Amino acid sequence: MTSSHRTRLAVDIGGTFVDAIAYDEVTGELRLHKAPTTPDAPAQGVLDAVGGLADRLDDVEAFVHGTTLGLNAILQRRGADVGIITNAGFRDLLEIARANVPGQYMYDFAYAPPPPLVPRRHRTGVPGRIDAQGAEVEPLDEDAVREAGRVLVEEHGLRSVAICFLHSYAEPAHERRAAQILREAYPDVSISVSTDISREYREYERTSTATLDAYIRPVLSDYIGALEERLGDAGLAHPLHIMRSGGGAMTAELARSAPLMTVLSGPAGGVVGASFLARELGRDVISFDVGGTSVDCCVIEGGSPGEVHEAAIDGFPMLIPIFDIRTVGAGGGSIAWMDHGLLKVGPQSAGAVPGPVAYGAGGTEPTVTDVALVLGYLDPAAFLGGDMSIDANAARAAVAEKLAGPLGVDVTRAAASVLRVLLARTVGALREITVERALDPREFALLAFGGAGPLLGPMLAREMGITETIVPQVPAAFSAFGMLMSDLEYEFATTVLKPLSDGTLAELEPAFADLENQGEEVLSLQGVKPEDRTLVRRLDVRYRGQEHTLGIDLRPGDDAAAILERFHELHRARYGHAMPDGGQILTLRVRAVGVLPKPGLRTLSGSGTGTPEPVGSRPAFDVATGDTVTFPVYERASLAPGHAVPGPAIVEEGTSTTVIFSDQRLTVDVHGHLLVSSPETAQ
Amino acid sequence: MSTTTAGGTANADGAAPLDGATVEVIRNYLVSVGEQMRRTLVRAAFNPVIYEVLDFGISIYDGDLELMAEAAGITSFLGANDHAIVKGVEYVGKENLAPGDVYLLNYPYWSGAHSYDAMLFSPVFRDGRDEPAAYLAVRAHWMDLGAKSPGYVLDSTDMHQEGLIFPGTRIVHQGEVVRDIVELIRFNSRLPDLTIGDFHAQLAALRTGENRLAQVWDKFGGEVVDQAVKQIIEHGERVARKAVAALPDGTWTAFDYCDDDGITDDLIRMEVKVTIDGDRMEVDFNGSDGAVLGPVNLPIGATESLAKSTFKELTTPDEPSNAGHYRALTIKADPGNFFHAVYPSATFTQWSGIVAFELIHKALSGVLDSIPASSGGDEPGFMALGHDPRTGEDFVISNNEGIGWGAGRDRDGANAQQHPSQSVVRNTPIEVLEHKSTIFHERLELIPDSGGAGRYRGGVGVLREVRYLAEGEVLSMKKKSKTRPWALNGGLEPEPSGMTLWPGTDREKRVGMYRATMRADDRFVNRTAGGGGYGDPLDRDAAAVVADVMDGYVTVEAAEREYGLIVAPDGSHHETPARAERRRTQPPADRHDT
Repeated sequence: MTSSHRTRLAVDIGGTFVDAIAYDEVTGELRLHKAPTTPDAPAQGVLDAVGGLADRLDDVEAFVHGTTLGLNAILQRRGADVGIITNAGFRDLLEIARANVPGQYMYDFAYAPPPPLVPRRHRTGVPGRIDAQGAEVEPLDEDAVREAGRVLVEEHGLRSVAICFLHSYAEPAHERRAAQILREAYPDVSISVSTDISREYREYERTSTATLDAYIRPVLSDYIGALEERLGDAGLAHPLHIMRSGGGAMTAELARSAPLMTVLSGPAGGVVGASFLARELGRDVISFDVGGTSVDCCVIEGGSPGEVHEAAIDGFPMLIPIFDIRTVGAGGGSIAWMDHGLLKVGPQSAGAVPGPVAYGAGGTEPTVTDVALVLGYLDPAAFLGGDMSIDANAARAAVAEKLAGPLGVDVTRAAASVLRVLLARTVGALREITVERALDPREFALLAFGGAGPLLGPMLAREMGITETIVPQVPAAFSAFGMLMSDLEYEFATTVLKPLSDGTLAELEPAFADLENQGEEVLSLQGVKPEDRTLVRRLDVRYRGQEHTLGIDLRPGDDAAAILERFHELHRARYGHAMPDGGQILTLRVRAVGVLPKPGLRTLSGSGTGTPEPVGSRPAFDVATGDTVTFPVYERASLAPGHAVPGPAIVEEGTSTTVIFSDQRLTVDVHGHLLVSSPETAQ
Repeated sequence: MSTTTAGGTANADGAAPLDGATVEVIRNYLVSVGEQMRRTLVRAAFNPVIYEVLDFGISIYDGDLELMAEAAGITSFLGANDHAIVKGVEYVGKENLAPGDVYLLNYPYWSGAHSYDAMLFSPVFRDGRDEPAAYLAVRAHWMDLGAKSPGYVLDSTDMHQEGLIFPGTRIVHQGEVVRDIVELIRFNSRLPDLTIGDFHAQLAALRTGENRLAQVWDKFGGEVVDQAVKQIIEHGERVARKAVAALPDGTWTAFDYCDDDGITDDLIRMEVKVTIDGDRMEVDFNGSDGAVLGPVNLPIGATESLAKSTFKELTTPDEPSNAGHYRALTIKADPGNFFHAVYPSATFTQWSGIVAFELIHKALSGVLDSIPASSGGDEPGFMALGHDPRTGEDFVISNNEGIGWGAGRDRDGANAQQHPSQSVVRNTPIEVLEHKSTIFHERLELIPDSGGAGRYRGGVGVLREVRYLAEGEVLSMKKKSKTRPWALNGGLEPEPSGMTLWPGTDREKRVGMYRATMRADDRFVNRTAGGGGYGDPLDRDAAAVVADVMDGYVTVEAAEREYGLIVAPDGSHHETPARAERRRTQPPADRHDT
């Protein structure tokens, strides 16, 4: 990298690889480098990946990082030993939880949940009580707080403490005072306060949120500190930004004080990137991210991805904003098998070891990757850029023996069937997301990325009657690309539970102003200039008695009648009916956005006309005709805006392959995206 | 009386068999139709009994009323509509069904549920044929249909005290809601807005189902889908039969008690005889008591659902349900038995079905060592009713409370988990309860020593202490408060659930199922049972006993009394003579102790 270039870097840590992507702001060039994940010293993997793109970071204008460190700490139970301080008489809230068994274990009458993250002996209660209206019923017993701190820190040796009291969303004074007492007594102990993370009601969920925060805070703080230092040594002069689970990024400093916001940042990058493209291209899109063990989908309407305000890891809930991503537990590594005559795909995965049969590493069960080889979609000689030796014959033999024989069809048809079954489950998941929003998926474009997204995307589009599939640049590292396109974002919310009326709106004005002040403060702490700040007010509204809410963005001059009218309309659109009732406001929300300078989507200078020259061809299975036919093979690098290629065709680039069938057509848009169009079908 | 599986082959046209991949693809599409109906219902529902307690059942039937796919709200609503749809179609008459019609059924002896569980069903037509090609059913709990008491009925003595009854009444006629019927409901319900709101949510779910089913037919072809359904059901039958065949053959009997019928104090004896013979299983409830006066009698449809749930656990726990899964199961209960209510028996309080839920387990526990001891054996929650002077509005709130689950041959039972018949239901947050009502919580804690002691310990139960801030009512919901949940192989039986009203006053009273008026500052303490223990407590690993003491799941006193271990505050410990004796006589190979 020379000093005449200005570069934006994004680094995404995955399970096996760290993806680093560099965007040259002058040439628009995107470059990718992968390095192995280094679980024992995660910062090393980041530096290795970045090192493949640049020796020094002096020219780097922006550095955005998505990390799974917090997530892995939770999944692998490698977080801090945590103590909990709550109300006297309620120390078991974390363990009683909601007392429910996850739906998939409905018929397991011997189910036991994972043990709570904090054992009972490390949970303690102190006198003091706030009621549902936020009034103090009993003052906080400060001596009891000191004693609880002494027991947890001095007797049990804990270095991280979570504080959550009943109804603190309505009045956080007791939580704040307790935190203050503990910080004074034990300045080195990490303190997580439930209402610092969430002002929403439901005590178990808030306790769990604070506990998870306390659990990963020391780990993440150490990691970010180490990473900042080493990036600084390498010349990084701009602040390190960390990706949030709900989109947007935040400064490393803020991430250290709100670590929980980072835990699901991996898939968020892909959704941010998809939303960016959706806005730039003016399309509603469904993101379709296919990895080794899962398919992640998100609906992006009007440039905005669906959002939810609660997520869970291993069944532990967190009240944090997050994208509404739906996951099907099957991907490239999933095993296909016969169940008493029916063909099933997953949930078992061959993983990295032994991996697919074709890897020759001991795998004996055919996987999705094996069937893609059998069908001719993947080139054994050029697998993962030719870095890996592949035994396509072994894959074929496994499909023949394990699937084709029992199904009574030939090997090709058996292999094609595996993809049909995989896609049928994906279709179900997409219909379930869209039915909740009363949307028709055929009005969306499918944005396919992740290692196997471009391979399966055009096939899924045919299946669903979606007429356009978009394959972005460097699809295998699209999550990292999305991180490049992030703004700084933060959300503030508070539960109110009031009738929707002009009186209430006036009454809530100070609360809204308070949330906005918090937003301004956070943005200003992160160095965002006032002209780059946007604050959006939103109300979560429902009919009295209903549980689920709909979010209504507020417009200037809105009164209660206008808000209620928009709520009725949205309810009618979503559920087919509206009620003649008034509304109830459950939650106030303010989203604070600090717009970061970032490149727009570049228009490429190169241009092509007609059909480019293929670099080769191979026989592959055409789902449009049901026959194996010759697919010309193109290199992506040789495709330029304006090129058009009729199906069948295969487009290869280092780590991804796009497969276009005989009733589809490929064009290249001015940004270099591959557009695969399918015929319209009645569905 | 055996389960109804309407006769006839699915297809008369003799379509060619489909390959196992095509069938699986279509199966996924059909399961997704049910799932999309479920999401529509839950998102649009008005009452928390639907969206929180998941008191609903959604089913998709083929033209012969065979179950194609379903989305059960809770475990014990498996196949909940199977009996009802047959009775409903029979009542209306197949020839009278028309496109766009929706029918309402809550006659308990047909619906297999109490009168507040309203099933809507609709025929779905295809290709201009005059017989339905499919049926959709959505059953959901309504808040009020005018029964004798608000909230919940604990003491009705015949059906006519349990609210307005619809035997399969056309409530939507060719796409138009029949206003007269809806107005009838409005004028008979204490909570008309919620009830009618939920009716519309059910309609929305039916509409989603109709659209999506039509799309599946368009995509694959109606006859292909019919053929696939036939094969899906055959597959279900094959898998279930194979699983039954792997179980030992024989006949085993078990019994347990339901507290009483709400009118008298007499225990009700419930008995099941389970026979496994090759690839068939029969469960026979005829050894049980006959019908009782109070509202705990079970309609046959409810009995079938609870039997199917355990059958599913034992055979195909991971598969979405279809008719084939239950062909190997025969359920017997003669009309007039406790498990087969007939008109005009009262059926409102079906907590008896919860208490009976683990009976089949109990019968098989001697021969299948994978079966754990009993859970706390009940769904021991509560409801609170009253008037909130702050808002000027009436409230009805409810909470399902966790219980301990039974210990198994190699592990402790789970603490504070919802009863297996409705394990996916969540409790209600304190912050929600206190917002919606005038109750105030003093405590919510796990109960030390409440889990049945054993080599593996039963899970512990929950204690909830509540104070009323204004006058109101409490309904204590439980039907297993007089007899203990069962243990296995020398484990100990836990204390049963119970509620103490007005604790520490001269009015203090321990109750099971009960309705009480509470004045301001009155309190109740609700205690839920732990799970049964498994194996001799003296054989429990010493480190596990010490950990339990350190965490307070077991007290120092119980550690000594039941486990034979004297534990000091620092965790050091020594054994009692009883434990030492046990160690001398017990072969070391079967011990985990040091």
